[in-house]
Amino acid sequence: MNLLQQFVNGVVLGHAYALVAIGWTVLLGVARLVNFGHGQMYMLGAFMTWWALAGLGLPYPLAIAVAMAVGALVGLVLQRVMLQATMQQNLVSIMIMTLGFGYVLHGAAALVFGSTGQIMDTPLSTREITFGDTWLTWQDAAIVVVAIAVFVVLELTLERTRVGRLVRMVAEDPKLAELAGVNVRSVYLGVFAFEGAAVALAAAMVGPRTPILTSMGFEEVIMTFVVVVLGGIGSVWGSYLAGLALGLFTAFFGALVSPAYTTAAAFAVLIAVLVLRPGGLAARAR
Amino acid sequence: MNPSKRAIALALLAPLGYFAPALAGGSGAAYSAAVLIAIFAVMAYGLDMIVSDLGEVSLAHTVFFAVGAYTTALLATRAGAGSWTTLAASVVAALVFAALVGAVTLRLREFVFSLVTYAIAVVAATLAANWAFLGGSDGLRGIPLLDLSIPGVKLAARNDRELWPFAFALLVFTLYLMDRFRRSRLGSAAVMTHLNSRLAVVSGIDPQRVRLQVFLASAPITASAGWLYAYQRAYVSADILDSYFLILMLTAVVLVGRRILLGPLLATALVLSQEKFLSLGGYADKIILGTVLIAVLAFFPRGLVGFVEPLRARFARVPDR
Repeated sequence: MNLLQQFVNGVVLGHAYALVAIGWTVLLGVARLVNFGHGQMYMLGAFMTWWALAGLGLPYPLAIAVAMAVGALVGLVLQRVMLQATMQQNLVSIMIMTLGFGYVLHGAAALVFGSTGQIMDTPLSTREITFGDTWLTWQDAAIVVVAIAVFVVLELTLERTRVGRLVRMVAEDPKLAELAGVNVRSVYLGVFAFEGAAVALAAAMVGPRTPILTSMGFEEVIMTFVVVVLGGIGSVWGSYLAGLALGLFTAFFGALVSPAYTTAAAFAVLIAVLVLRPGGLAARAR
Repeated sequence: MNPSKRAIALALLAPLGYFAPALAGGSGAAYSAAVLIAIFAVMAYGLDMIVSDLGEVSLAHTVFFAVGAYTTALLATRAGAGSWTTLAASVVAALVFAALVGAVTLRLREFVFSLVTYAIAVVAATLAANWAFLGGSDGLRGIPLLDLSIPGVKLAARNDRELWPFAFALLVFTLYLMDRFRRSRLGSAAVMTHLNSRLAVVSGIDPQRVRLQVFLASAPITASAGWLYAYQRAYVSADILDSYFLILMLTAVVLVGRRILLGPLLATALVLSQEKFLSLGGYADKIILGTVLIAVLAFFPRGLVGFVEPLRARFARVPDR
């Protein structure tokens, strides 16, 4: 086995997981909200990108922009519908509504795009970088670069800007923030728009790695759960590290044991960590 | 409603329910729909206990449903077990699974609990689709007919029409269990843990113990629905873990209203009737079901009874307390 190749695969996969999970990390950290429709929003982002590329013939960067705009809109609509439950912090309703939303997205996408798989080819995914007998595509390299860029920009935004301060205030205490004159509703709407755009960006970047199917959302979301919970709920750097660790674990598990059971193995790790350290790996960091 | 009124109402409703498929024309399709409504309602009652009484969202109940179905399919096709044996085994397997899931998730609350139970459902689906022991993606075929005969009495079902009395009996028994549960000490402890956990602790209730007990009570109910479903379909495959069942269960629990005995049954009947008799095609039905689920929670958080109760209050006389 080529160890270096598995390491490269793991690093790429890890950045992919972290990128897919970033919207959820912010959602949890800021609004204490969850989105079980995350996987289906990823699916929709991938299909929008594919449609913009293959159907409209747009250049790749523009196709990404289209997918992100649609993603942000979907996030806004979802949060608008749930706003009352969000303001009441009614998590039971929110969880069930997002599940229902994912189900609707799946039905709608299958109706429009059909149930057969598609291959999303981008200008980057068809060209390879090789060194020795190790290789990766330019798409893989772009995933790593974009993931790091998104994390850095996000961290700077949250820590250094006025918007970031407002968002952190709402995260800390929504009622107090409202008393202090913060428009809590628009922060919640903004966070969901970010979640939608971020997962669409992730789908546009990561989608070309695998065939895309309208039914893929159900399973897709698991790796995000693992990243978010292992990283410590809502911790930005925690989820980056957790994504990377999970990527390396998955790559080596797939190569050494069985690729069919990687989801199950990742889940076993999650359970082990939850039983041993309920706060997640980064529990002490924050 | 006081107990004697309840008894009269139930005595009137039960025969009406039993003859519902005959009243609806008595066609094969009517009986098939009735059998599925009964099975899926029983499946949903298991979850109802967790969501409505305990106030948590378990997304692993599709797994209990599948545990019942797969246990039945494995024992019936590979060991030639009879229907009573498979029923007992389904209940035991569900209890073992519920104890495992319960032990792992005992300390998890709210969304982490839901995340982990959802993950359990997804992992179970990948296992069922890949593991040859469970038939892989082909599933397990050739499940024999339901046969609950006891010495002297022949109780077997060759088609949905003959299966209906059994499905109805399972449904009635489940309703009885739910009613008993809600009047039991465990039932009120669950509600108290849900609504005011500090008060519960002060009253000497151990919330973790209550959670585990409710979990153990609910899993066999959902698994028994899986047991009958295996006989109804005559085969079991990984699609029994499809998210459809999860969404259906959740809709059944919230559509009519929480903690209403007949709520999940009525909701299941509404959803299944639409799918069987007014279907717009599989994908469009998905959109309808999902939209109904969202709309109820967003606009009628108390369920459809939120509609009816103000009307009833208007027409009701001064309450005789």
